[in-house]
Amino acid sequence: MIRRTTIAIVGAAFVGLVAGLVLSWRASIAPIDRPAPESFSADSVAHGEALAAAGHCVSCHSRPGGEQFAGGYGVNTPFGIIFGTNITPEPSTGIGTWSLAAFARAMREGVARDGSHLFPAFPYYAYTKLSDGDIAALYAYLMTRRPVIMTTPANTVPFPLNIRALQEGWKIFFFESARYRRNPSKTDEWNRGAYLAEALSDCSGCHTPRNVLGAEKIRKAYSGALVDAWIAPALDAANPSPIPWTQDELFTYLRTGVTPLHGTTGATMTPVIREGLALPVVPDSDVRAIALYFSDLNHASQRAPTIEATLRQALATSSVGSGQEYDPDANLYAAACMACHYNAGPVPLSARPELALNSALTLSDPTNFIQVVLNGVSSHGGAPGLVMPAYASSLTDSEIARLGAYLRRTRTTRPAWTDLEKKVSAIRRQPAASR
Amino acid sequence: MTWREHRRNTIVTTFNLNGRAVSVHSPGDAPLLWVIRDELGLTGTKFGCGIGFCGACTVHVDGRATRSCITSVAAVAGTAVTTIEGLDDEGKHPLQTAWLELQVPQCGYCQPGQIMQAATLLKDYPNPTDRDINAVMAGNVCRCMTYIRIRKAIKLAAARMREGVSND
Amino acid sequence: MISLSAHGLRSSSDPSRRSFLITMLGGALMLGYARSGLAALPGVSAGELFEPTIWYGIDRSGTVTINVIRAEMGQHVGTALARIVADELEADWHSVRIVTVDSNPKWGLMVTGGSWSVWQSFPVLSRAGAAGRIALIEEGAKLLGVPVRTCTARDGAVHAGGRSIRYGDIVARGDLRRRFTSEELDRISIKAPGKRRLIGRDTLALDVPSKVDGKGRYGLDAAFDGMVYARPKVPPTRYDSQVVSIDDSAAKRLPGYLKSLALEDPSGTVPGWVVVFADSFIAANRAADLVRVTWHSGKAATVSERDIQNRAAQLIADANGGSLVVDDPGVDAILASAKQKIERTYTTGTVMHVALEPVNALAFEKDGVFEIHTGNQWQTLILPVLAKALGRSQDTIVLRSYLLGGGFGRRLDGDYTVPAALAAKAIGKPVKMVCTRADDMRFDCPRSPSTQVLRMSWGDGGRVTAMDHHAAAGWPTGVMAPFFMPAGVNRVPYDPFSISGADHWYTVGAQRVRALRNDVAERTFRPGWLRSVGAGWTNWAVESFMDEAAHAAGVDPVEFRLRMLDGAGRNGGSAPSAVGGAHRQAAVLARLAQKVGWHQPTPRDVGIGIATTFGQERAMPTWVACAARVHVDRTRGHVTVEQLTLVIDAGTIIHPNSAEAQAEGAALWGMSMALYEGSEFVNGQPRDTNLDTYRLLRMGNVPEVEVEFLPSTEAPVGLGEPATTAVAPAIGNAIFAATGARVRHLPIRPEAVLQALAYRA
Repeated sequence: MIRRTTIAIVGAAFVGLVAGLVLSWRASIAPIDRPAPESFSADSVAHGEALAAAGHCVSCHSRPGGEQFAGGYGVNTPFGIIFGTNITPEPSTGIGTWSLAAFARAMREGVARDGSHLFPAFPYYAYTKLSDGDIAALYAYLMTRRPVIMTTPANTVPFPLNIRALQEGWKIFFFESARYRRNPSKTDEWNRGAYLAEALSDCSGCHTPRNVLGAEKIRKAYSGALVDAWIAPALDAANPSPIPWTQDELFTYLRTGVTPLHGTTGATMTPVIREGLALPVVPDSDVRAIALYFSDLNHASQRAPTIEATLRQALATSSVGSGQEYDPDANLYAAACMACHYNAGPVPLSARPELALNSALTLSDPTNFIQVVLNGVSSHGGAPGLVMPAYASSLTDSEIARLGAYLRRTRTTRPAWTDLEKKVSAIRRQPAASR
Repeated sequence: MTWREHRRNTIVTTFNLNGRAVSVHSPGDAPLLWVIRDELGLTGTKFGCGIGFCGACTVHVDGRATRSCITSVAAVAGTAVTTIEGLDDEGKHPLQTAWLELQVPQCGYCQPGQIMQAATLLKDYPNPTDRDINAVMAGNVCRCMTYIRIRKAIKLAAARMREGVSND
Repeated sequence: MISLSAHGLRSSSDPSRRSFLITMLGGALMLGYARSGLAALPGVSAGELFEPTIWYGIDRSGTVTINVIRAEMGQHVGTALARIVADELEADWHSVRIVTVDSNPKWGLMVTGGSWSVWQSFPVLSRAGAAGRIALIEEGAKLLGVPVRTCTARDGAVHAGGRSIRYGDIVARGDLRRRFTSEELDRISIKAPGKRRLIGRDTLALDVPSKVDGKGRYGLDAAFDGMVYARPKVPPTRYDSQVVSIDDSAAKRLPGYLKSLALEDPSGTVPGWVVVFADSFIAANRAADLVRVTWHSGKAATVSERDIQNRAAQLIADANGGSLVVDDPGVDAILASAKQKIERTYTTGTVMHVALEPVNALAFEKDGVFEIHTGNQWQTLILPVLAKALGRSQDTIVLRSYLLGGGFGRRLDGDYTVPAALAAKAIGKPVKMVCTRADDMRFDCPRSPSTQVLRMSWGDGGRVTAMDHHAAAGWPTGVMAPFFMPAGVNRVPYDPFSISGADHWYTVGAQRVRALRNDVAERTFRPGWLRSVGAGWTNWAVESFMDEAAHAAGVDPVEFRLRMLDGAGRNGGSAPSAVGGAHRQAAVLARLAQKVGWHQPTPRDVGIGIATTFGQERAMPTWVACAARVHVDRTRGHVTVEQLTLVIDAGTIIHPNSAEAQAEGAALWGMSMALYEGSEFVNGQPRDTNLDTYRLLRMGNVPEVEVEFLPSTEAPVGLGEPATTAVAPAIGNAIFAATGARVRHLPIRPEAVLQALAYRA
């Protein structure tokens, strides 16, 4: 009896494995000669350039200081480091032999020209929503880049997770290939924003939490996630910023990297703004569309009446501790931080990030606060023209914890963070972020 | 220490210092303060505490007061850095003139940092209240305690700047 | 110059022992003065430079170069001294420049401290200026071909009738050989106050311009070709720590690191020091953090602030011992039999200097001379120590002068020059030794904690019959300049910088003042002369106590004091520096009371407290009265100082603008020490090593401050420190006035205020 059950289980598993392997097998698409750059129209290439910028392909497909699109950038995933590939039109190490069909299949289904599956670190599950025209434009752009010989380093994903065929299983559970579907109850601008966000810029890739197998939790779309040791905050109604992200605020932020009512960009969002969505390549209209999409998502217009009061409340605390003060935490803040973070009002200055309005203090997780205090913000790490020193070598874990607790209790109405000092120590011990 | 090891540790950082381009070879995390003082020879910016609590090291990075003792040189790549020596070609910024007239400095060690910080204060708040002054100058220590005259000089310079009074 | 230390200071019966400083220091200055007056003008040919004394020279362009031996540390002393010379000399102020000189034996005693500079230099420099004027008039008259009596000197020229000849021309064309003997110099009369043209009038201090454009050069800015950098590893205790091992394996991987050495120091200044060398400060700083040194810790590694203060209390409790500074007969008997008396104990905690420029020095040998480049307040004191450390004669060592990024007494102790010099000698290269803030604070010579016990008795109508004051602390002078200690009445030497202030100007019947030397303090750290030194803690006690006594006796605190400032007997004062004595103290107090509306009611939880002191010492009293108006938050113990008002009689004010600045700065120092600063010894080291935990008064903490100087033509006295001494007790008295709560420890923390509110005895 047991023997028969065992045979059945083993048999079923064997069949499942074979079926899986069969299903996972994808044909190789024949290599082609690299198309002549002149064969692509200037308009197509320009269009593709705008798309590549908005999709910030360089952020994964270029190494800092390396050639554009030549790959070599290590993406930290929970499963190991996966290196962005060389997508220059170089025949031996890049995609020089890829036809449009091969390119489109990679973008839409996550399958390389030779039939191997791509790890979902490459967000084909977003690009699948792109229109045919946009895919063709991206192809035109990439195939007219400078070919670079650069072998993509091997990934460090451990066996057996690195078996590419197993990606098919992942896809069965988590992936659906489909074009973007227009929402008829929303405006054209909204749909444009939604298309860009969902299909190209893949905002969800950072702002949606993932399950243990690395797939986005669809039901928790845009509810925030930890990326490269920083938190990409929720973009939906759970967004913790005291002031709602209206379309204007988001537009200003995505254009300049800083707004008076929210603060500045940091960490891996910065290249999205400064290199991805930047002028002149990505037009204002596209950025406004994305801004509209997300302002709708966080129900900004409903919350707009609260802005005045929130602002007043925030500014009322801005100079607390600058007088004859005896609270040692207030004194710590006044000595180390207030000179730059004070705002007189009635509206904060962009160059003076107002902490009472900053999500770093209102997120339930203190990670972003801790990171920015430890590491500061460099000239290329945040909004242009705004540099913050790094306090890692000048403040102890205890002092950073005290500052965090002090700001949390005096600048927000949120419950206290827990285990702050331990968290500071842990983050301090992490190796520096990859970018 | 081999030459190769030495080289690995060093990066080249290019930025603008008081109006001219400079390229510095140093560890990327070298504090900007010491690069300015020792590598580039401008000693007007001072060292007081090394942890960003006294303001003696204050310079401008892209026009904004920044504590150079805890800002790495790599962090200012591509920016315009201004020190006290570069605040005004002739040392006659309205703040400097007011500082002279009211004889603000005693030992003077903190004053370059005070002046640089005050310049950002006036850029943000051209008509500063006492509260503004208290908050924005909170990070600048004067051990001689010349605060009373610093405050007066800030207000004097502010008034002149609002009226567009020339310095000649 | 140090030979002066041997004689004359310990004579116990000398009635002027309290003015030993005038004698000793004045003598040194006179020595420097007289030597130049008698010597042939060295190698100066007629027509180049006229140097009637070593203190200045006039060249053929008429430029007057005044040699300043005082350190420029914010008090604009060079300008003040130059004004003194130039006024008598009748120089054109625009032709005057000052040179802060490097060390040289010809200058005699080089020290900047004690608030002495103007007071010491005024008699010498006025006469020097006058001598020059006399010589120039004589020679100018000759060149003009007119009798001397028809000439006057004014604005850098000699005038007769409608004609004049500029000083520069007199130097160029004349034959200036007039020399003055020291007796002649002594006899020169100086201007009556009404004739002064520069003294008492404002001018732009000559050091200020370089302090607004970044050009001023401080010790930290000194550089020399080929120099390497060094940063110390400060041992766990000030004394007796011995280096066991140095592990620089981690530092070796750092580019720029050179090596680490344990210093051999024959002078015993920096026992247990290791210096870490590198080719840049960035590298030296990082390397020093990577170098692991193990020491055999000195015995003081277990000493706490409590241990130090316990010892102080123990010393006071022992009726024998200590030095009796004042010892009127019968104090014990009067106290014993008095029906009305009080006894109180006051304490002050450790205070750190925190001059904003951390200590540093550049040292190298050049042309047979060992040069030390740094800011320093007492070259004469450290030169023999350097000589011993380096094993060479003092004549071959020179201290080159720089601006000081803060003195405050820290740089009176030039100990930081020794490791730089030893490092340079050891490595055979110029060495720039820079201390980080943490190194600087661990190597500070802090203001010693103190414990004081005071007793007073009074009879009918609140008339005081006896007062007793015992103060125990580490003695800075005892440790660093013992030759400076006069002998007490009982022949035991005392440190005047530990007790001055207790020898007040109040007529208290029988008075006793005893100074106790805290040996536990002194074996743990090197006590420092920190802005106002002993007067900073003695006046905390005296002036808090006067209020407590007044309260106990049922007399208004101002009235109580004024009655005792009657100028009787020794409190009547003396010429030249203490003319008027207690009457002048009474005057500033009375003026202050009037100014602040002493008898007017104040709102709830707001109180006004007053205190009055005589500045630094009886031989050179600066009369100070301070009122503090404070608000006390009774639920949190927070003290907000709303206003500080000071009335000061400092005699002749040389440079009014600077005098006001010193008064403001010193007053805020007093407030900072009273309410914000304060450290404590933990395991033989001060607990605080940077500004994140050691709190200094900042812009937003500044109250309203008003300073009034009483006009005076009396001798100029000191201003660098005096205003510091009256602020803390004024604040303590104000807290009492506001709430009835009495605090007796400095610094005053909210917890102490709450405790005192609860106690309210």
